[in-house]
Amino acid sequence: MLRAISITRRFGRTLALDAVDFDALPGEIHALVGENGAGKTTLMNVLAGSLAADHGEAVLDGRSLRAGSPRAALAAGIAAVHQSPMLFERMTWEENLALGGFDTNAGALDLDAVAARARALAAKLGFEMPPAAATVENRSVAERVRLEVLRALSFNPRVLILDEPTSVLAPSELNAFLDLLRGLRSEGRIVVLITHKLAEAIAVADRITVLRRGRVVARTTPAETSEEKLAGLMIGEIVAQPARSEARPRSGAPALQIENLTLDDRTGRRILDRLSIRVAAGEIVGIAGVDGNGQTELVEVLAGVRRPSSGRITVLDGSPGGAMAVIPQNRDLDGLILEMRLWENLILARPLREQVTSHGWLSISRAADLCRELIDRFRIRAPGPETTAGALSGGNRQRLEVARAIASRPRVIVAHNICRGLDLAATAEVHRTILDFASDPSGGAVILISSDLDELLAICGRLLIISRGNIRETNPGERDPERLGLLMAGARD
Amino acid sequence: MLSSIAKPFAALALAAALISIVLAALGASPLGVFAALAEGAFGSWYACAETVVKSTPLVFTGLAVALAFSGALWNIGADGQLTIGAMAAGAIGPHLGNFPHAIAIATILAAGVLGGAVWGGVAGWLGARRDVNEVISTIMLNFVAVQALSWAVHGPLMEPSRAYPASSPIARAARLEFYFAPSRINLGMLLAVVLAAACYMLLFRTGAGFELRAMGRNRRAATFFGVRIPALTLWVMALSGALAGLGGAVQVSAVSHRLYEKLSPGWGFEAIAVALVARLNPLAVIPAALLFGALDNGSQAMQRAQGISPELVQVIQGLVILIILAFDTPAWSGIREHIFGAPHDAAAPPPVAEAPDA
Amino acid sequence: MLEAFLTSAITMATPILLAALGELLVEESGVINIGIEGAMLAGAFVALAIAYFSGSIALGLAGGVAAGVAINAIFAMLVVNLAVNQVVTGTAVSILALGLTGVFYRKLFGVTGKAFMVAPIAKIPLGALARIPLLGPVFFNHNALVYFTFILVPAVWYVIARTRYGLRLRACGERPEAAAALGLGVVAIRWQALVVSGALTGLAGAFLTLAYANTFVENISAGRGFVALSVVIVGRWNSWGLAAASVLFGAAMALQFGLQALGTVVPYQLFLALPYALTLVVLAGFGGQAAAPSALGEPYRRD
Repeated sequence: MLRAISITRRFGRTLALDAVDFDALPGEIHALVGENGAGKTTLMNVLAGSLAADHGEAVLDGRSLRAGSPRAALAAGIAAVHQSPMLFERMTWEENLALGGFDTNAGALDLDAVAARARALAAKLGFEMPPAAATVENRSVAERVRLEVLRALSFNPRVLILDEPTSVLAPSELNAFLDLLRGLRSEGRIVVLITHKLAEAIAVADRITVLRRGRVVARTTPAETSEEKLAGLMIGEIVAQPARSEARPRSGAPALQIENLTLDDRTGRRILDRLSIRVAAGEIVGIAGVDGNGQTELVEVLAGVRRPSSGRITVLDGSPGGAMAVIPQNRDLDGLILEMRLWENLILARPLREQVTSHGWLSISRAADLCRELIDRFRIRAPGPETTAGALSGGNRQRLEVARAIASRPRVIVAHNICRGLDLAATAEVHRTILDFASDPSGGAVILISSDLDELLAICGRLLIISRGNIRETNPGERDPERLGLLMAGARD
Repeated sequence: MLSSIAKPFAALALAAALISIVLAALGASPLGVFAALAEGAFGSWYACAETVVKSTPLVFTGLAVALAFSGALWNIGADGQLTIGAMAAGAIGPHLGNFPHAIAIATILAAGVLGGAVWGGVAGWLGARRDVNEVISTIMLNFVAVQALSWAVHGPLMEPSRAYPASSPIARAARLEFYFAPSRINLGMLLAVVLAAACYMLLFRTGAGFELRAMGRNRRAATFFGVRIPALTLWVMALSGALAGLGGAVQVSAVSHRLYEKLSPGWGFEAIAVALVARLNPLAVIPAALLFGALDNGSQAMQRAQGISPELVQVIQGLVILIILAFDTPAWSGIREHIFGAPHDAAAPPPVAEAPDA
Repeated sequence: MLEAFLTSAITMATPILLAALGELLVEESGVINIGIEGAMLAGAFVALAIAYFSGSIALGLAGGVAAGVAINAIFAMLVVNLAVNQVVTGTAVSILALGLTGVFYRKLFGVTGKAFMVAPIAKIPLGALARIPLLGPVFFNHNALVYFTFILVPAVWYVIARTRYGLRLRACGERPEAAAALGLGVVAIRWQALVVSGALTGLAGAFLTLAYANTFVENISAGRGFVALSVVIVGRWNSWGLAAASVLFGAAMALQFGLQALGTVVPYQLFLALPYALTLVVLAGFGGQAAAPSALGEPYRRD
């Protein structure tokens, strides 16, 4: 039996896992569900040895696992298939697999033997293998998943942990994959399946554990639950919201027009698929979707970090400030420079920088004044403009980013998972600020991209759903969180 | 604030301790050596003046390196940029005899700026347009510059009597005067100090300087906010080269008055130590340059008094850089956080923990 | 004349190739070591000093190897264990080695400028092979170090491309996080690469003083370490390519001596600058860096 006992793990100030207990039995498929940021991947990394927990331990068959050592985990019989690619692109698939467990020859490296063993196992699983000596670079995403699963199985593990393995599989491949999992179960292995696809979890799992914000919020079985219930648990407490979001009429002038935005990545995979959005001033449009459906890339394109393959973005009726203010989801990595002071982080936004610069000359006192003004106005808890951004708590950093976005007086604010990691009070405050911005006559439009339905339902006038790089409008009256959660989670209408 | 000053001093202290071990192994007395160094650098009026002279090129190259490093652009090519700047100065210098003094000086220095800017700009262009790692390109360009100088003084620029591989002397009009003769103190240092102040203003008081520092700290975040990385790379490398090139021109105009092989005894590399000790702050480059210039100057006296060759100064340079890097490693801040809890207030530490894109 | 030139090319190429092969191993593991120049210089000096004072070439070679390893160890501690900036560290290590060798050279051998010679390593003509016209003397009448280098080229190729160890090495340079997740010890493997490289580079330095110049002068390596870096790039991170590039650059170096003596119109500096200029051309024009290991130069830190 695999057990995680009271696992706690922090990243900086964020509590990723909070005293999580988890167990999985031989001959069982145990599904771990939750939205991204819930802590599933962190838990998996702790179990697989890539990450050491701050507190707690992992135990397999009564023996405690050495923390932070993938080698120890593999030796104990735990193999993982990660969500982010862990293949070596420039090597051939045989070489990739040889680094797994197929290389059992005592003497010299024999890639042919590795290939033979791989093919044998693949045949048993119904997988197709790439042509001989093909490098991984040009293989399709589905092939890569298969290779990673194969590599994990090559260790003949007692425990197999899979993180979102089916998110890139075509529906036709899905059943075969689920059968594969059932086969592994019947061999007596422990299978931990991390997924947000609730239908699959219910179809194949024996037990289901739901994580939310680093805590276990439910333990159940498919018989006792349903997709709707799980969606509700995953996404949040369904609190009766005061009717704040009276459907805002499209009163304002058009603010942003995105036409047929398409983005293909290097391997030709389509990430954004002819996305078209029209937003008017005063609107708060929500784009709901589970992470990994193109949101990050959309934000990058809007910020100008990435060039789309085709399509057009037009900001209409330019306001005195900049056209678009972007608040990226990785606030610590992309939105702020933690070593710099607050006023420096503020002037990262070009419009604000221009405000405090004359003839190229930066006025630190003006920047500091602006910073103080914003600290007051947005109630950022910070000693002063000279504080470094790294010294602020997560909530205050978020306030800073929102303050910066609004102070630059943009036509459109695009915010990605803006309230992730914030408590309810901080979330409410951010929402109030956004509402004020939108309802201000000289304000602009807001696009909120989020996987948190609570938040979107609370303040968005219009709700779009993004799935596999596609945007779908929802009916204006459609407000049932469970149903929307299902749509987000990939169900077909 | 205190910690940012304490670090260089701690690093220097540790370097001194390690040097003492080396000296002991050589059978020399550490105290005797340090005393000889100090004596040689500051022992007499002439010695002090000479220290200033020897520090001048280090201010120029130190500024060049500090500026580039602030943007996480690892310019290892200050030596080559200085050399090309010197070459340009040495080429045009002999022909300025008929110009008024001020014009001649301005011209010869401008030539240095241009030469260095081009040499730095090549590396910048390669990085911006062809994604070539600036580390490799600047190192390669160093060597090309050395060969170009060698060819020039053996060939087209060789002085008429063809007795030595050196260029014709520059015209009197183009020479930066000696003051307080017989010392060699000249306006070059004054120019360097003014430029240091200018670089400080640029880096900390302009929008462009801010973009550079943002790019150096977090390239990805900078792109999110519209900083155009390729253009900035090109401009900064050109500016960095220009500063180094100007240093070369000053050296030719004020001290050497002609070109010869091996013009730079490694100022471009010494500049890395200078810039790191100064923690990339242009104003602090001045005292840091003086420190290393003092070591350079004192090393001759040290050799006479203690029999230790002047290369000891390079040992000091290397050790200082390594120690500062070791102090600044993220591993330390992780350990520090463990012990002290709070994230440390980083005033302006060098962004040396980040990697160049290779 | 041609024979002398080609033989000289091979002789010049050898230390460069030795160091480059070592650097290839290091770069395949994901580290770029600019301190290679320092390791070579240290190896050169220590080899000469030990050979001179002990009278034994073998001890000298061993000393050179040890010196190279020691220099690389300093580099490894900072770059692999502390995950510090590789470029600046490498530069500092080279400066440090330049200084240390200079200081100790003067202390041990004085400032008199008298050349302290050692007897060169004996050449070992390979019997019948050495008698083949032209090819014979050029390839088969060298000392043991040169032959060792010949053998090393296919050996390094084989290790990198065909062995289990080479696979693990490449994994570290391709994606160290994935390698670690598979249980590989990235830190240990990078250390090993640096130690082996240190040995080879130290040996290359020893070649310079014990087989080539038979004495030591300041900065005897004269940038050959950086040429080795160029060789890895121009050779496209492939043993055979490295060999070809080394011979090319060795020929350029040999050529410049001849040209200096002849005093022709073509400036010999052109040939000395060739390796560096060519590297730039390759990098700029032919997507040179695309062939590099993906994670080259990025510090890797265990979480």
